[in-house]
Amino acid sequence: MSQYETVTATASGSWRGSGGPPVVSFENVSKHYGRLKAVDGLTLDLHPGETTALLGPNGAGKSTSLDMLLALRKPTGGKIEMFGSDPYHAVKSGRVGAMLQSGGLMPEVTVRDLVELVTKLHPKPEPVATTLKRAGIAQFADQRVDRLSGGQTQRVRFALAICGKSELIVLDEPTAAMDVETRRLFWNSMKEEVAAGRTLLFATHYLEEADQAADRILVINRGRLLADGTPAEIKARAGARRISFRLERVDEPFLLGLPGLVNLEVRHDIVQLQTSDSDATLYAILDGGYRPSEIEVTSLGLEQAFLAITAEDDATNGTTHAGETN
Amino acid sequence: MAGTLALTKAELTRLLHNRRYFIFTVAFPVILYLLIGRQVNTKAYGIGFGAYYMIAMSTFGAFSGALNGNAQRISQEKKEGWIRQLRLTPLPASAYVVTKVLVSLATTIPAIVIVLLLGRFYGNVHLPAWEWPVIAVVVWFGSTIFAALAVAIGYRFAPEQVQPVTLIIYFIFAILGGLWFPLSGFLGHVGQFTPTYEAVKIGSDVIGNLSVPVGLPIGLVVWLGIFATLATLAVRSTAESV
Repeated sequence: MSQYETVTATASGSWRGSGGPPVVSFENVSKHYGRLKAVDGLTLDLHPGETTALLGPNGAGKSTSLDMLLALRKPTGGKIEMFGSDPYHAVKSGRVGAMLQSGGLMPEVTVRDLVELVTKLHPKPEPVATTLKRAGIAQFADQRVDRLSGGQTQRVRFALAICGKSELIVLDEPTAAMDVETRRLFWNSMKEEVAAGRTLLFATHYLEEADQAADRILVINRGRLLADGTPAEIKARAGARRISFRLERVDEPFLLGLPGLVNLEVRHDIVQLQTSDSDATLYAILDGGYRPSEIEVTSLGLEQAFLAITAEDDATNGTTHAGETN
Repeated sequence: MAGTLALTKAELTRLLHNRRYFIFTVAFPVILYLLIGRQVNTKAYGIGFGAYYMIAMSTFGAFSGALNGNAQRISQEKKEGWIRQLRLTPLPASAYVVTKVLVSLATTIPAIVIVLLLGRFYGNVHLPAWEWPVIAVVVWFGSTIFAALAVAIGYRFAPEQVQPVTLIIYFIFAILGGLWFPLSGFLGHVGQFTPTYEAVKIGSDVIGNLSVPVGLPIGLVVWLGIFATLATLAVRSTAESV
């Protein structure tokens, strides 16, 4: 546990510089369904201008957390604030635009009619033509909403999230139904939103998306925050590199004392370890008088880092996952 | 308020493209009136049959419009997540239900106006000028209270369950309320407590120059209270699953 806290502290240290009160703050927020803890004591702050990815496996509590942030569900305990007020009033003030997986569209109308309608609901609307262009839906604006493909529907949902001049954009698995090309276009337009000074929070299970798009990653599992930092910090947290080698007569206590060691696995004479400092770890093995063979040093992507973090957590806390309810 | 009106306008535009709605609310009562309405020398509720059937059919069209269209739509829109999507906009939480009821208030008007015109020019119903608007308002109120019941059904039931549920309610209130034919005996006795009967009876008493028993309008208000309570409970209890 102490390692999580160390990383969290460094990470929040680097964000404290962004100034101003937090856009969003969760204070020990929980959501229980009977004995099931979908969200379990979540505490975090989002700062103006940040792009934050909420990363976690299915059932980690991502959707439930976003639902509570957007006033769709009430927390069992704790407190959520957005722009210094409660979630309901923050949403109704038009300062947040959101796109959820479960959000539907009004059928029987054209895309343009729908975007016009939702734009009218905003206190500070964007021009409809701008929204259509930004969301990349201008070319099918006159089609009926119920006759669109999955990817097109997803882009219309995105249009509804950005049709007002909101300061915070919340997206739950935004690219889930998109093909590779649409996904690329989506992130390009998203970068423009962020460049315009908007704060962005998105949940995803695409690790490369979190890696490329986010300034900051929050890893959650079983309703709790496991790690909080830049993509680089998250990778370091899990042990950025893996070293594997063969070694006869393994001395486990010695290996456990190696500098930078994060995780150790020994099977017969095969040793696999994860380390945050592969050079120091390897020199220490050699300085200890050992001569391992078949040495391999590989760097871990965010994916392995993420898996390492959640696997460690599951191992410490049992394996039952909290159910993600939509 | 501007947002609620924008949504109401969009809903009305959608409805104009919906044929099912016109069949239920306008076509059915018009056809029935054309087939049955013109019976000379027959009386019902103490007035000419043509006049009774005019009130009954306008109530029937308006009530089935308020009940059928809305329940199905609300349930479908809940399932598809449109209600959820609206909750993410600056539109106040209550606006969706308010809009549905406003749309109902507007959509029952064609059925009432058309059937009343039919009564006047096809059924030869002659009334003093002031009685026409009074009857229209009574029928309108008596039927649009079903908009609240439709909200309750739409929030409570999945789309595939809505159809049978509304159909049962539709038959009960149409038959027991004496909308298709006047009832007598035991069923007639039970039927006196339905809002559909109350609306038709107020209208026919006005035409028959009888004093309207105070229990009838009170009954309508009680039914409005019951339906509105059911709707409120349904909306509240499903708040986290919408």
